[in-house]
Amino acid sequence: MSKVIDNKCLACNAPIKFNPELGKFKCEYCKSEFTAEQLKDMENKKISTDEEAVDDKYVTYNCPDCGANIITDEETAATFCIYCGNSSIIKNRLTGKFAPSKIIPFKKTKEDAIKAFKGLKKGRPLVPKSFISEKNIEKITGVYIPFWLFDIMVDGTIEAKGTKVKHWSSGNTRYTKTDYYEMTRTGSMEFDRIPVDGSTKFNDEIMNTIEPFDYKDLVDYNHAYLSGFLAEKYNVDEKESFEFAKNRALSSGKDTMMNDMIGYSSKTEKSNTLKTTEQKTEYVLLPVWMVNVKYNDKFYLFAMNGQTGEFVGDIPLDKKKAVIAGILSFVITFIIAIIVSYIIYKVGNN
Amino acid sequence: MKKFKLFLVLFLALFININSIKADLLTSDTTTPIIENTVEETTKERTEENNYGVNKDIKINSNNLYNIKNTPYVDASKKVYDFANILSESEEQTIYSYSKEFMDATGMEMIFVTVDMPYTYDSKHATYASDFYDYNDFGLDLEHYDGILLLRNNYSYDRYYDMYTFGKAQLYFNQSRYDDVLDSIYSEISNDRYLDGFKEFKDKCLNYYNQGISSKYKNAYIDENGFIKYNYSVPYVLGLGIAAVSTLITMLILVNKNKMIKRATKAAEYMDKKSVNYSVKNDRFITSRTTSYTVSSSSGGGSRGGSSGRGFSSGGGRHG
Repeated sequence: MSKVIDNKCLACNAPIKFNPELGKFKCEYCKSEFTAEQLKDMENKKISTDEEAVDDKYVTYNCPDCGANIITDEETAATFCIYCGNSSIIKNRLTGKFAPSKIIPFKKTKEDAIKAFKGLKKGRPLVPKSFISEKNIEKITGVYIPFWLFDIMVDGTIEAKGTKVKHWSSGNTRYTKTDYYEMTRTGSMEFDRIPVDGSTKFNDEIMNTIEPFDYKDLVDYNHAYLSGFLAEKYNVDEKESFEFAKNRALSSGKDTMMNDMIGYSSKTEKSNTLKTTEQKTEYVLLPVWMVNVKYNDKFYLFAMNGQTGEFVGDIPLDKKKAVIAGILSFVITFIIAIIVSYIIYKVGNN
Repeated sequence: MKKFKLFLVLFLALFININSIKADLLTSDTTTPIIENTVEETTKERTEENNYGVNKDIKINSNNLYNIKNTPYVDASKKVYDFANILSESEEQTIYSYSKEFMDATGMEMIFVTVDMPYTYDSKHATYASDFYDYNDFGLDLEHYDGILLLRNNYSYDRYYDMYTFGKAQLYFNQSRYDDVLDSIYSEISNDRYLDGFKEFKDKCLNYYNQGISSKYKNAYIDENGFIKYNYSVPYVLGLGIAAVSTLITMLILVNKNKMIKRATKAAEYMDKKSVNYSVKNDRFITSRTTSYTVSSSSGGGSRGGSSGRGFSSGGGRHG
């Protein structure tokens, strides 16, 4: 037996969703507005429903509003009923060890995401015409992605070799003086909240690219924020995720220490004993607008940071346009090269 | 009356003899000139009346008048000018014969000048050589004033020699040919064996003349001011190469615009800059090394302009 939550307007009991622009919940029927705190009471109206396995990966629930079957996979924590459109939050997937401590509510609306997706054409002449179509735009969905945030301390010693080179002339003689140095730095530094995507469902590189999130907007987790969006629970645990954050911290720690060696013409790392210490870990949900577009039998995933509006994804190439652009570039450059060579010839001869 | 007849015969005989000697002397001027050893004997005075001795179509102005006045005004037919007094009279005669051999074969001048001139930069020699050639009546071809000049500076602190080409002679020498000629006479010139040196110089130059214009200058000509100029030919290979590289870069940029996803390998934006704390910061000096090399201040090859405004080229010079 699982608990499924369906956010309802406190005034008219109609389904209610989070409005990213207002930063509040707004009822589309009676126009009432509520904060997440006010809607916390709804947790008392939990509806019990049977969870029934379809196969190893998928389970079904009954929609608390219309009673229709909702099929989800085991990681989905919030979804919609495809019949009545109401959102359903499967609470036991966001409690206990899966309970997020914080959440950044959506700041960018679906309209913002559509605008950003349409804007991908700008400055990219090789985007296929059919790629950014209304049909694809309709598929844009807001998802709360599970992230681990790691506070990491890096400490240790780095040793490097460096040179300082000076050039000067005296009469017809050119001199080069090279001074050789050995540099040592021992110290520590802290990294706050390095994010690591906790779900294998989402491409790690896309999640990297929509970084950073502004953690000023982190608020205490409240189920109410999930209404109107999809949500996932983590399936990559803290230990596994830490490895990725650790490598990023070590790499930047090394850069920081090397950059502290100032005034050298060249620097080469000799050795380092840098190590990391995990200081604090938070499990949070971060907002992302996603669209999965099929083009020439291949899927292309796009994501927009639901807080900052950073939109990323690999756009397919229109091969016909690419060939035309290549030929045009070649011909135009060749003509310009010939004209320039003639101008240089005329100027040189004068 | 008899006395008068005798006097008349003697007078006529003397007159005919004098004219005969004069004619002999005039003939010997063009074939075997009398070569003097001293500066005073070989130079003439430059005056406004003789257009300062400048007979080429060179415009005399305030910029070049100083150079003209300070350039020795010599008899251009002699070809060998030993201002440094390092050649014997017989050596000068022999060198002249080598020079004439080259001139007869090529239609271009070949001149040997020795000086004892203090200098700081090698480029002073190029100025001297181009002025000497331009402000005297050198150049057998009156259109291009073609010729080669070998200059030897016997300045005891840093002896130096270089070759300079004028007119069409410039087209026969690229840098490797200049280097070959100058290197091949290094031993002779630096050991004061000028006869051998000049003979080798003449032979090498003649050899390159016979090989024809350097491939570098196949498409070049000498303009009215003595500069090397190139005829325009469409650089197809270069154009295609530039177009290919440019297209490749353009396409890479365009394709890269469609690829926005990048894996994060750093975490710099999450670093608390105030938390950076060093307990050891040590930069130790280990050793130092200084290297040096000498460059010739007068680079060889390519047309340059002298104070006369006319073009010339040079080999790059050698010290020794």
